[in-house]
Amino acid sequence: MASSHGNAHSDAAKMEQIITEFFAKSLHIILESRAPYVSSRNFYGDQAALSPCSSSSSSSSVRPRDKWFNLALRECPAALENIDIWRQSNIECIVIDVILVQRPLDWDPVTASLSPRRVLPRSSSLKERCPFGWNTDQEELGVGGRSEKIVERWVVQYESRKTRDSSSCSRRSSSVSLHNSYKKSTLLLRSLYSTLRLLPAYKVFRELNSSGQIRDFTLAHRVSSFVEPFTRKEEAEMMKFGFTPVDTSSGRLCLSVMYCPVVSGVSSEPSTPMSPQVITDYVGSPLADPWRRFPSLPVAGLPFHGSPSSLPSSRQQRSLSFDHYRASPPSYLPSPTYSESLSSVYNASLRRFPPASLPPHPTEMSLIQKKNTNFDDYYHSRSPSTDNSGPLPCKPLLRSGSAPVSIPAEVANFPGYSNRHNVPPSPPLRGSRGTAKIGRCTNAMQTGATAEKLFSLGKDESRKYSGVKISSNSSPSSRSYQDDFDDTDFTCPFDVDDDDITDPGSRAESLDHGLLAETFEGGGFFPIRKSHDAAVGALVQMLKKAPPLRQDFSTSQHLSQGVTNPETWNNNIGRPSEILEASKQVSMMSSGIIATRKTTADALEEFQGYKEMKNLLLMRDSLSWLVEYSLVFLSDT
Amino acid sequence: MNCEVCQLKELELEHFEIREVLRCILHTIVFHRALGLVRPKDVDLELFDVTYVQCGEAELEKKIDEKIEQFVCWVEKHPNKKSQICLSFYEVKNKQASWFSNKIERLYWEQWYINLNVAQHKVHSSKYHHPKVVDPGGAAAYSGVVYLRLCFLCVEGALEDRNARSAALEASLREVLFQIIKFVNEKKDHVPPIPNLEGAVSFPYEITIPSQVLKRVQCIGKAEFIRFCIWDGHDQENAPDRASNNAKLIVKVCRAVYGVKGILVHMFKLEI
Repeated sequence: MASSHGNAHSDAAKMEQIITEFFAKSLHIILESRAPYVSSRNFYGDQAALSPCSSSSSSSSVRPRDKWFNLALRECPAALENIDIWRQSNIECIVIDVILVQRPLDWDPVTASLSPRRVLPRSSSLKERCPFGWNTDQEELGVGGRSEKIVERWVVQYESRKTRDSSSCSRRSSSVSLHNSYKKSTLLLRSLYSTLRLLPAYKVFRELNSSGQIRDFTLAHRVSSFVEPFTRKEEAEMMKFGFTPVDTSSGRLCLSVMYCPVVSGVSSEPSTPMSPQVITDYVGSPLADPWRRFPSLPVAGLPFHGSPSSLPSSRQQRSLSFDHYRASPPSYLPSPTYSESLSSVYNASLRRFPPASLPPHPTEMSLIQKKNTNFDDYYHSRSPSTDNSGPLPCKPLLRSGSAPVSIPAEVANFPGYSNRHNVPPSPPLRGSRGTAKIGRCTNAMQTGATAEKLFSLGKDESRKYSGVKISSNSSPSSRSYQDDFDDTDFTCPFDVDDDDITDPGSRAESLDHGLLAETFEGGGFFPIRKSHDAAVGALVQMLKKAPPLRQDFSTSQHLSQGVTNPETWNNNIGRPSEILEASKQVSMMSSGIIATRKTTADALEEFQGYKEMKNLLLMRDSLSWLVEYSLVFLSDT
Repeated sequence: MNCEVCQLKELELEHFEIREVLRCILHTIVFHRALGLVRPKDVDLELFDVTYVQCGEAELEKKIDEKIEQFVCWVEKHPNKKSQICLSFYEVKNKQASWFSNKIERLYWEQWYINLNVAQHKVHSSKYHHPKVVDPGGAAAYSGVVYLRLCFLCVEGALEDRNARSAALEASLREVLFQIIKFVNEKKDHVPPIPNLEGAVSFPYEITIPSQVLKRVQCIGKAEFIRFCIWDGHDQENAPDRASNNAKLIVKVCRAVYGVKGILVHMFKLEI
C-alpha cells in the first residue's frame, strides 16, 4: 500500500497487510452478494456453470483467504479478478458501483405499452421461451441501448495520517492497536456483510439468482479507483450510510455506501408475502404444473379457498420458477445428464440455470431448500421416463402434429400451453384482434390444426378438471381461448405462459366463482400460511354453503361434510349490496317469522356444529377470533 | 469493563410471527459477535421479505430455537403483555474461590434487549367493525348464519388490515436490524479481544426470557437462593446489567420473605 509511512517495523508491515486484506475482503463481500451467479456462468462459460461445487461455504476446508477476518466466503470469480487487478495497481481507494441494467422495452411496442408491473416478467418470458429469436451474447452485452442506473456505490478507502502523526502514534501503541484494529475491522466486515443483505439491491440480486426466470434486468458492477461524481438529481435520490471508520496505527479505514432506497425492477415483486396479489403459477397450482396436480386430484371435494389476500407470493413464484426449469429439462432430455448435443443457442439458454443433474450452487441450494422444501422430493421422485410419457395433454399433440422441425422440442414443454388447459375462460371478448393474433400464431406454428386441437383439448381438459366450477360459469368456447390470447398481446406463438396470459384482474374476478379453489393445495411448502388459509377457506366454504335462512336447518348442521344445496350458491356474499340483503334477513328473523318454526333444541344442535368448527379453526390458529365472536354471539342467545 | 446496553425498538407482532422475528434478530446479533471463523449462511424469512445472516452453527441454532420456544410458551401463558428478551455476552473470569462465591465469574460486556409487544388478534379496527346484530329474542340462534356471513365481509377488511400491519412490521424489523448494525459499528471498544477458540461463536452468551427470573425465584431453595443473589449481585463488578437487576429483584423478594435481619441470619448464621 502507498499508505506506508516508511517505517520498516514489522507491525507496520502487518498493519499494511491487514489493510490490504481488508480491501480485498470488502470487495469480495460486496461482489459476492451483488454479482449474480447467472451472469458469471454466462461470462465464464461452462466451467463455472458445470463445476459441481464452486463454493467454499459448504466445504470444511479452510483456505488462507477465509482465515482473514475469520470470514469464509463463497467463491466469487468477479471479486477475485478485481482483487488481483487492484493488488497490482496498489491504490488506496476502491469504488464499487453496483449498476442495475435494464434492457430497453421498446423492442416490443405492445409490451412496452403495458403497465410496468407486467412488463418485466412478460418480456423476460418471451426471451426465455424464444431462445432462437434472441442472441444471448447481444443480450448479455446489452447491445441495442440498455438503461443503466447506479443503485449502490461502495467506497472503501484508507485515509493515511501524515507521517509525523503516524510515527508518534504507532510507536506508542502499535502492538495494541494492531490487534485492536484487526478486531475492529473484523467487526466492520461483519456489519458490511449483513448490511449488504438489508439494502434494496439485494432483492434484485436474490431475484436474479434464486429465480429460474431470466429477467430483463441484471446487476453489473464497476470497480474503479476514483469516484465519478453523481449528478445532483442522482445524489438527491440516494441515501448514505457510513460505517464507523476503523483507526489504525497510521490512518483509518473508511467504508461507506450510497444507495438508492428504491430499486426499480424489484417493484414487480410484492413487498410482502401477505400482499393480496393472486399468484396463479406457484408450485402445485394446476395452472403451473398440471402433471403434478391432476393425477392425484380427486375432482370432487376440492378444498375451497377463497382468500386471495393470503395467497403466497414472491417466494412461491420463485420456487415455481425452479420447478419449471428443473422439472422441464427431462421432458426433452431423456436422461437428466446435461447434453452437449443440443444446439448452441439452446445451450446458451439452458446454461442460465443449473442443469438438473448438477447440484445447484450451495447458496442457491439453501435458498431453494428454504423456499421450497418439497421441490427436491418432487423432482427426485419423478423419473425421466415418467416425464417423457407424462400425462401432459398437449405434448403428444404437438409432437405427433405437424409442428415444424425448426421449433425446438422445448415448445412442447411450455408451461403456458399446459397451463391453458386449466385456465378458466374468464377474459371478456375483445373484437377481432384476437383472431388476427391467432392467425399469426398458427402461421408461425405452421399448424393450424394443431392449434385447434390444442384449444379443443384444453377446453375438454378444463371441463374435465374443473367440474363444478364450469357449471358456475358459462360454458367455455374456443373463442374464449382466442380472447385469452388476445389479452396476452403475445407476439410469438410459444410465448404463452401463465404469466403472460393471466391478468391479475381476471384472476381475481374468477376467484369469485371459486376457481382458485384447488390452487391452494400447492402451498405444502408453506405450512404456516397453509393452515391459515385452510382455516379461511373452510370458513368461506361454510359461509357460502350456508343455507338460506328460511331453509330447513338440518342442512346447515352438515356444513363441514360439504352437503350443499344448489340454491345456496346464489347466496354469494362479497358485495356491499348483500349486506343490506342480509340485514333484511336479520330483521325478518327478529320479527319472529322464522323463529316460530324452531325450537331451542335446534339451536343447541346448531351451536354444537359451530363449536366443532370452532375447535377446528382454533387448532389452526387463524382467524379464530371470528368464530369465537360468533360463538359468543350464539351462546348469548 | 464496560457493559454496553442496546435497547432495540419495540416490535408489535402477532403470536405466529414471534419465531421468525426472534430468530432473525437473535441470529443477526450473534453473527456480529461471532468473531471466530464464520461461514455465513443467508436465510430468507418466510413471512417477510427480509434476509438475515446466520453463523451456520447447528448448536447455536438449536440453543436459539430452544429459547424461542420457551419464550413462546411464556407468551401463551401471559398474553397481552409486553416482553423483553435479553441476549447478553460475557467473559468468564476465573476468580479465587472465596467462601461464598463460585470460582467462575461472568463479566457481562454487552446486552441486547429485544422488546416485543405480542398483540392478540384484533377484530376491531377503526375501519372495520364486526357487525352488530340487534336481536331481541330466540331468533338469535338462526341469525348466526347471517352473522357469520357478515363476519366474512369483515374478514376481507381484516385481511387488508393484516397486510398493512405485516408490511409495517417488516419495516420495523428492518429498522431493528439497522439499529443492530449501527450499534455494532459505533461501539467497538468494549468488545473483548478475540479469543483463540474453535468455532464461530467466540464469546459466551446467554439468552434470558421473562420466565427465567420467575423460575429462579420459584425454584431456588432458600439458602441457595440467597447465595445466588449475593453472588450474582456482588460479583458483578462495574456491570450495571441484568444479573444485578435480577439480584435486586430477588433481594427484594427475600426482604419481603425474611426481612433484612432474616437474610443476615439465614445467610451468615449470625445471631442478631
